[in-house]
Amino acid sequence: MSRREPSRAVEWLLRRVLPNTVAEPVLGDLLEELRQSGNRARYLRQALSIAVYYTPGRLRRAPRHLPGASDGTERKPMGLESVVQDLKYAVRGLAKRPGFAVVVVLTLGLGIGASTAIFSIVDGILLQPLPFADPDRLVMANETKDGQRMTIAWPNYVDLRDRASSFESIACHQPNAFTLLGDGKPRRVNGRLVCAGFFEVLGIQPQTGRTFRAEDDRVGATPVAIVSDRFWKQDLGADPAVLGRTIRMSEKTFTIIGVLPAGFRFSRPEDFYAPVGLTITKDSGWLDRGNHFGLFAIARLKPGVELSQADAEVKRVADDLARAYPNTNAGNGGEVELLRDRFVDQVKSTLVALMGAVAFLLLLACVNVANLLVARGAARQHELAIRTALGGSRWRLVRQLLSESTLLSLAGGVLGILLAAWLVQTLVVLAPEGTPRIENVRMNWTSLTFALTAAIACGLIFGTFPALHASGIRGQHLLARASRTSAAISPRRTRRGLMIVEVALALILLAGCGLMARTMLRLSNVDTGFRADHLLTGRVMLAGDAWNNEARRLAFYDDVLARAKAVPGVRDAALTLSLPIDGSNWGSIFTVRDKPVPPRAELPSAAFIPVSPGYFSTMEMRLLKGRAFDDRDSPQGARVIIVNQKLAGQLWPGEDAIGKQLKQGWPETPEADAPWRTVVGQTPVRSIAIVARTEMEPTRAAAPLEAAVLASDKDLPLTRVLPMTQLMRDAVARQRVSTVILALFSAVAILLAAVGLYGVVSHSVTERTREIGVRMALGAERGQVLRLFVRNGLATAAAGTVIGLAGALALSRSLESLLFEVKPSDPLTFVAVAVLLLAVAMVACYLPARRAAGIDPLLALRTE
Amino acid sequence: MADMQTLGELEQLILLAILRLGPEAFGLSIARELELQAGRRLSRGALYTTLDRLELKGLVRWKLETGGPERAGLPKRLYTVSARGVSALRASQRVLDRMWRGLDDIFGERSS
Repeated sequence: MSRREPSRAVEWLLRRVLPNTVAEPVLGDLLEELRQSGNRARYLRQALSIAVYYTPGRLRRAPRHLPGASDGTERKPMGLESVVQDLKYAVRGLAKRPGFAVVVVLTLGLGIGASTAIFSIVDGILLQPLPFADPDRLVMANETKDGQRMTIAWPNYVDLRDRASSFESIACHQPNAFTLLGDGKPRRVNGRLVCAGFFEVLGIQPQTGRTFRAEDDRVGATPVAIVSDRFWKQDLGADPAVLGRTIRMSEKTFTIIGVLPAGFRFSRPEDFYAPVGLTITKDSGWLDRGNHFGLFAIARLKPGVELSQADAEVKRVADDLARAYPNTNAGNGGEVELLRDRFVDQVKSTLVALMGAVAFLLLLACVNVANLLVARGAARQHELAIRTALGGSRWRLVRQLLSESTLLSLAGGVLGILLAAWLVQTLVVLAPEGTPRIENVRMNWTSLTFALTAAIACGLIFGTFPALHASGIRGQHLLARASRTSAAISPRRTRRGLMIVEVALALILLAGCGLMARTMLRLSNVDTGFRADHLLTGRVMLAGDAWNNEARRLAFYDDVLARAKAVPGVRDAALTLSLPIDGSNWGSIFTVRDKPVPPRAELPSAAFIPVSPGYFSTMEMRLLKGRAFDDRDSPQGARVIIVNQKLAGQLWPGEDAIGKQLKQGWPETPEADAPWRTVVGQTPVRSIAIVARTEMEPTRAAAPLEAAVLASDKDLPLTRVLPMTQLMRDAVARQRVSTVILALFSAVAILLAAVGLYGVVSHSVTERTREIGVRMALGAERGQVLRLFVRNGLATAAAGTVIGLAGALALSRSLESLLFEVKPSDPLTFVAVAVLLLAVAMVACYLPARRAAGIDPLLALRTE
Repeated sequence: MADMQTLGELEQLILLAILRLGPEAFGLSIARELELQAGRRLSRGALYTTLDRLELKGLVRWKLETGGPERAGLPKRLYTVSARGVSALRASQRVLDRMWRGLDDIFGERSS
């Protein structure tokens, strides 16, 4: 259903609450606003406020409109009044058995709380519209290679901008980091290079000043910048005369022309925006179609243009470009995706999996409550039978039982909301760093509506079933046998059925958790090939035109390495383009000597990581064969490379890779027929990482290492100074958090299932006390009685387990994208969780069964 | 009697908003005008019940207009301020004016 369509629930509600003459125009106003703004949360909130404002008057008037209310005859409770009466009765009934009420409310509270919390997160991240004007028309246009998304090359972007007709507006942007140079220590500031029109595409106006114009966005223009509200307040002291002020950023002086509105955020928190056009000089490499410098294109679809149409057009443009520029564009395609989808791309699968898991938990809680209600219904058969016999209508009884279950579920709902509020806060803190839109997650009206809907649905659906059950008992039949408690066979079967469902649900949750736990185990035991402990890492960004000078870069590398190695406690240090955990952004095409050169589109490419000579020894990386880089491999020496096992196997299967030769770049590139050199000094790399092998706890070397870099160049801050082990932990944070959450859910699930099973067996022991007495009097051994009950309970659990295994097998595929080296049908996991569940079930059955075995036959028979 | 009683602030604002909007005053546009001009973010429930109250006092009138496709054909209530409403507003303004009179010395000191 579209977010711009009116909600049927709202129409239903308002048509009931409002006088007829008011309802229609009010609904019209609401709908008109919804269609204009697309803000569904606001629409629902407004509707609710109207309902609330009009309700009191309606309630007061209601009794007067009741037929027969004023004709002097005795009033039959109807409508609201009888509901109130039902509720009063329900409260009284529950107060008589507080234990029962507490267990039900706790169970429901857990289920509703957990599901509301996860729903709030899903709502904030996936469902709510992006905070930009008309966000459903915002898209990203990407270049692709072999179906993989990649960033767009500048000339390709320009052609796309000029040729595509699907877009109302289009702009480009490049996430970037800048170095703020001021009076104090230089500081790294996250920002973005954007082209003129970027903020217009989003529909964002600065709170002061203006956005970038075309004349700002070209080589040689006076550098101007727009800063975030946060930067303005924290770094510029909320200066009211901020426009025209200058700041030094990455060796350039920028004049501030605007401050963004508070709360503006594009995909990640950023403080600084500058025109990308300033950097696109002739010798910068930007103008080369083969260079994909991390540029993204964002566009707004023309009204009425479908995503698929835009996608087809961008693909067409990409094909045209591939034909026109085969050297650089052969094999490249294009695609268009919704901005919203892109933002949440990496977390969607996790959230969907968690939402599924929590739905199962809620269902399980409901089944458990249904189970308890059936038990209670069975215990109240006597009372209900009397009321039926005295002329209570079946409908009235059902309604009364229903109001009891609704009351319970509402109480559960309130508890759930409290629990959810706490859980949401906790989960937001626990969320892996960089989770998109996490700042958007909070309890709001939508979550409250969800919680209350869940509560009422639980009360109705799972209350109806036992209520109908209990009231269906034929009065006389029951009264006659009221004292013979063994009569309630049918509820017992119902409970057994519910129990099977419960165990099955628990098993599905457990299986999901088990698969994630196995994944975590695999991830933490991956052989990385290097020693991660006692390894400190940090990054330096060589931003600014001055660093175009190769000699300056080389000198800096040598100097900073020497200083890093001199830090006390640092045994060894090296430079690299990227750390092992990050992979390389530099995909490099190459040809292999003495092998046929494939067509352009099929040229092999590999991730390329330039490193300094000491890299392998600093990382304590094992070499399978050959030698590591050393001082021979200077700019003057032979050009050498080291390849990994996988690449060697692909290129020279069954041969010794040592001594083989590669040439980097396009086959036509006029360069010596020898491999490229691979020492950091030769590369146009602007962002480098430093690794330092320390003798002590690596974080203790952090401050001296930062100082060492600053001593080498006072304008270069060392950023993201973290131990390697921490980086590796962060890399699996998403899996870890989902595992923890799933483990919690599973623990609750097992607990609920165990309690349920215990209840069923225990209840049947109570019911069959007399039967046990007779059996024992006739010579049954205690062991036999014990086995009878354990067997019955375990049979139920086993049936649930089998069904659960089938369900888990069918559903675990949805976890696939989260798993690592574990198949969704991993047999070990499935066997393990089944055994675990059965073991818990065994305990849950054994305890009440032992009570049965301990029954004294004389006492049991005497109770008759 | 209606002329005698003073209007609440919200009532005044709503009446003024209706006057400002002219022939295009209906629930949604009134809410927007209030937000735009008076900076008041009113819950829609409060707005409609106040409009009902103003109608009951005879200060506003409305007529139904058939709605266009933008509201799925649902009718639109177009509000106008009745003569009584106008005079109630005048009366409120007069009261305020009287109360302000003679306070120029106090406020005159301030430049804005």
